[in-house]
Amino acid sequence: MTDQKRKIPVEEDNYTHNINRNNERSLDRRGFMKTLVGAAGVFAVASLPWGTLAAKELMGLSDKEYPHKKIVDVKDIAVGDSVEFYFPSEHDSAVLIRLEQNKYVAYQNACTHLRCPVYWVKEKHTMVCPCHKGKFDVNTGAPTAGPPRRPLPGIVVEVKDEAVYAVRVKRYEA
Amino acid sequence: MKRSFVGVILLCAILLMNIVFLQLLVHQYYFENYVAVLTYMGIMFLLFPLALWIYKKEKYKGDHSHEKE
Ligand code: FES
Repeated sequence: MTDQKRKIPVEEDNYTHNINRNNERSLDRRGFMKTLVGAAGVFAVASLPWGTLAAKELMGLSDKEYPHKKIVDVKDIAVGDSVEFYFPSEHDSAVLIRLEQNKYVAYQNACTHLRCPVYWVKEKHTMVCPCHKGKFDVNTGAPTAGPPRRPLPGIVVEVKDEAVYAVRVKRYEA
Repeated sequence: MKRSFVGVILLCAILLMNIVFLQLLVHQYYFENYVAVLTYMGIMFLLFPLALWIYKKEKYKGDHSHEKE
């Protein structure tokens, strides 16, 4: 008798008897899985711009040649001294250091931590960032102390006609 | 009704891996290890079809309404 009562009448005016409510929960789970798959897709797409930029760097498209720029005359820079200059644009400050008679190194001197200007301390034979006491190796530009984690970008220099020229910005090689 | 959560758990694991690898990818970009960036991007792109495959496989698990009909 109770069974009889519970039975859903299949009549012409019943438009809901085909909805299977037992399925609701399993559809929930399925919907959740769908969302997760969608998230995986979004993550894949999100990694795309980084990948393209990386590929661009690898193909050396950013390794641009800038017009050579004269930094200083050789007679104006003593061994162990440094001069500041701007390369490649006048907003990129850089520093040239004469380590030995014929050895020059140059770096863009915006600190790789928070872009304070890094300067050369002759007595300590190291490059120092005044902001948070970051230090950089003068031969490689690699950070040796303090918060910076990336090396300073090196600049290739060339000595020609008794003057030092900036040629291009080096790509960082890991 | 018995439900299967294997798919849900696996997909959650994939989501976790997505988060971890994206984080690593962005860091490696700033560390200028571009080859590593491309590797991580490859992993990210493999995770998506993997997720899709798991979803397709697990879609009807634990759903017995189809068996009855
Ligand atoms: S800005 Fe150079 S150490 Fe913080």
